[in-house]
Amino acid sequence: MPTMNIIQAVNDALRLEMRRDPRVVILGEDVAKFGGVFRATSGLVDEFGPDRVMDTPLAEAGIIGAAIGMALYGLRPVPEIQFADFIFPAFDQIVNELAKFRYRSGGQYPAPVVIRTPYGGGIRGGHYHSQSPEALFIHTPGLKVVVPSDPYEAKGLLLSCIRQNDPVLFLEPKRIYRASKGEVPEGDYTIPLGKARVVREGTQVTVIAWGSMLHTALEGVDKAAELGISCEVIDLRTLMPFDVETMVESVKKTGRAVIVQEAPRTCGFAAELSATISERAMAWLEAPVERLCGFDTPFPYTLEHEYMPNGDRVLSTIQKTLDW
Amino acid sequence: MPSMTYREALNQALAEEMERDPTVYLMGEEVGHYQGAYKVSQGLLARFGEKRVIDAPIAECGFAGIGVGSAMVGLRPVIEFMTWNFSLVAIDQIVNNAAKIRQMSGGQFAIPIVFRGPSGAAAQVGAQHSQALESYYVHIPGLKVVAPSTPADAKGLLKASIRDDNPVVFMENETLYSTQGEVPAGEHLVPLGRGDVKRVGTHCTIVAWGKAVHTGLAAAKLLAAEGIELEVVDPRTLRPLDEELIFESVKKTGRLVVVQESWPVASFGVDIAYRVQRACMDELDAPVEVVSSADVPMPYARNLELEVLPSADDVVAAVRRALYLV
Repeated sequence: MPTMNIIQAVNDALRLEMRRDPRVVILGEDVAKFGGVFRATSGLVDEFGPDRVMDTPLAEAGIIGAAIGMALYGLRPVPEIQFADFIFPAFDQIVNELAKFRYRSGGQYPAPVVIRTPYGGGIRGGHYHSQSPEALFIHTPGLKVVVPSDPYEAKGLLLSCIRQNDPVLFLEPKRIYRASKGEVPEGDYTIPLGKARVVREGTQVTVIAWGSMLHTALEGVDKAAELGISCEVIDLRTLMPFDVETMVESVKKTGRAVIVQEAPRTCGFAAELSATISERAMAWLEAPVERLCGFDTPFPYTLEHEYMPNGDRVLSTIQKTLDW
Repeated sequence: MPSMTYREALNQALAEEMERDPTVYLMGEEVGHYQGAYKVSQGLLARFGEKRVIDAPIAECGFAGIGVGSAMVGLRPVIEFMTWNFSLVAIDQIVNNAAKIRQMSGGQFAIPIVFRGPSGAAAQVGAQHSQALESYYVHIPGLKVVAPSTPADAKGLLKASIRDDNPVVFMENETLYSTQGEVPAGEHLVPLGRGDVKRVGTHCTIVAWGKAVHTGLAAAKLLAAEGIELEVVDPRTLRPLDEELIFESVKKTGRLVVVQESWPVASFGVDIAYRVQRACMDELDAPVEVVSSADVPMPYARNLELEVLPSADDVVAAVRRALYLV
C-alpha cells in the first residue's frame, strides 16, 4: 500500500472521483494552473482540462454561488476556499442559499456541493490564516461538517462526501497536511459519514477530538499513560451529524470526558458535545465534562503556541477530571 | 416613569447619544428619508442632518466596512442592518475586521461600533428572513453581544453599547418593537455584562434573552396556576455573560431550562448548559434542558412556523421534565 500525506490523499480522492464521475468539477482560487496553494489539486487540470478544473477570481461569494448553481443543474462541484478564514465573504451563500435549497424547494433541488477548505492554526499564519470556524457551520441546519485526521481518513471521507447529496463543509487540518503520513489503499474505498472511531481503548477518561487536535489529544494521553492513567480516545470524524452513541457508550464506561478543540471556547462545538454527554450520561458522570479549547481571543500571531491546546494542557485537563 | 414602546426607547437612546456626542452617527438602508424599515430612526434625519444619518446603498458589506474604518479614525458609528439575516453578507467585516483590529493593532485602534437591527422570526417571512443568529456572533472573540427584552433594557443597553469602545452586536426583535413598558427618562444606562431577574421563583430557573424572555414569562404564568414558581433570568448581554447571576439562581432552584430562539446544535443555549453543569454540578437535581427552535430552516407555512418556534407549552414541558413530573 502506498504511503501518503493528507495533501496526497485528498488529491488521490479527487482524481479517482473525477475519473469515475464526469459530473465532478473543481473550482477555486489557484486550483488549476498552480495546483492549489497547498498543492491539493496538483496535476488535475492536466488530466481533466480547464472545463472541469477552474481557476476563479478572488471572490469567495462568487465561487460558492457558482458551485450552487452547478449543483442545482446536476453537477457535483467541489469548490476550494483557500483558507477557512476566507469563507466569511461566502457565508451568506453557504447559510442562506446552499444550506436551504433542498428544504426550500421541497426536496426538488438537492445541492451536492463539497466545500474543501484548510482550517486551523499552528503554521504561523496569524489572524487571517488560522481560524477554526466549524461551530458556525455545525450550528446551521442543512449542512454536514467533516474533518479528517489522517491521510486514510481524508481519502475515504472525501469520497463519501462527494457521493452523497447534501452540502458538506470538508475542513482539512492544514497543520498536519504533510506531517501526518500513513498507508492509503490505492483505488476506491469510503468511510461512512456520521460514525466516530475509537482510536484507542481505555477505562478511566474519554478524550474526544477531531482533525489536528486528535494528535494533540494523543500526545496528552501518552503522557497520561506514563502516569498509569488509561484513556479512551475518540476521533469524531463527522462533526455534523455527530455520533452520539459512540461517545455516550464510552462515557458510560469511563465516567469522565474531556473534549479538545482548537476553536475559541465560548459557544464552540465542545459546548454542544459536553451538553449532549451531560444530558445523556448524567447518572454515569463522576465529574463534570471538561473542555479544553483555544482561548477566547482572536487567533494571536506571536502567542500561537500558547493559544493552541497542547499535550501538557490535555494531560492537566485529564487530571482535573480525575481529581474532581 | 414614562411608558413607551421598545421602538421609541431605541429611538430615544439614539437621539440622546447623538445629541451628547457629535462623533455618533447612524448608517444603514432606509434609515434616513424612510425613517428606518421599522421606524427606529424616526425623526433623526431632520434633527441631525444627512451627514450623521446616512442612507446607504443595499450593500451590507460596504457600509459595515465603512463603519469599521470610520471607527478606527475616531467616530462612533451605529450601523443598522435592516435585519440580522442580511448581516451574513457583511459577516466578514464583523468577524475578520471589527472583532480583530483592536488586538491586531496592539490596542492602537479601538473599534467603538454598534451593529444593530432585528433578529429572529417575525411572522411568515420564510427561511431567509427569520433567523435568530446570536450563536454565530457569541462564538467570535472580540465582539460583545446584546439582546434586550424590554423597552427599558433596550434604551439603557443601546446607550451603553454606543459608549463602549468595542464592537457590539445589538440584536433587537421585530415582534418586540411595538411592546410597551416603563422607561426611565434621561440618563438611563444598563451596564453591559449584567443580567436581570425578570421574575423571582424557587422551583426551576429559566434563562432566556430577547423575545424568549416573554416565552419564559408566559410559561411561568401557566405553571404558577399549579403552584410551580419559575425564576426567569435575563442575561441581557450574551457576551460577556453574567454567569454569577445564573449560577446563583440555579444553586437556589437546582434546575435549569434555557429558552432560545436560536437553532439548537452548537448554540449559545448549550454553552450555558455546559457552564452550569460545570459550575453547579453538585446543586443540579436534573440535567439542564435547552428549548430551542427546531433544527431546520424556518418554514413559510404559519402552522409549521409555530411548530418550529419555542412556545410557552414547550417550556412548560421542559420544566416538567426537569422536575420529574412526567
